[in-house]
Amino acid sequence: MIEYFLLLLGESIMIFGTLGILRFPDVYTRLHAATKCDTGGAMTILMALAIASEASLLIKLKFLVLAFLIALINPMVSHAIARGAYKYGIKPEVVVDMYAWDNP
Amino acid sequence: MVEEDLLVNPFGWGVLILIATSLILSYRVLFGPTLADRIVGINTVTTKLVVILAIFGFIMEEYFFLDLAIVLLMVNAVGGLILAKYMEGAG
Repeated sequence: MIEYFLLLLGESIMIFGTLGILRFPDVYTRLHAATKCDTGGAMTILMALAIASEASLLIKLKFLVLAFLIALINPMVSHAIARGAYKYGIKPEVVVDMYAWDNP
Repeated sequence: MVEEDLLVNPFGWGVLILIATSLILSYRVLFGPTLADRIVGINTVTTKLVVILAIFGFIMEEYFFLDLAIVLLMVNAVGGLILAKYMEGAG
């Protein structure tokens, strides 16, 4: 039963990540949504597969190795893309100014 | 046979959702305003493809799909790093 709950959670994260990539106004905010979508959704679905699989222990370990590699690789690539986009000359459009929120 | 197995299993319906979101994301790849938007879209679509390969390996019980998924993930990492390095140099 728990693997179907994990599958539903992963698919929800995938759908909302796609919505964020489509609707956010900037490269950096889109990258924020993409990282959540990739890492969280894919790792959750792969853990559900590792629980639901009826194969031998080695195959389950291979699913977990895939999840570990996703957790290792995806944030690294996202960081490199953000750094490259800033060096490319793209300025962020969204400015978070929390001091102005508290002191109008 | 494959279609019957695909839609009996709840993981098969997950494959349909992943394919639908990938097709929606191809808008961002085709019409992205800058180069970085297209790279973000390509990376997300490739990660969804890795998950689709793993689910196919689980449903059809042929586990060489997992090796294909690991290789595709590493190609995704190297390609993303090379594109980021290219953007860093071209600015």
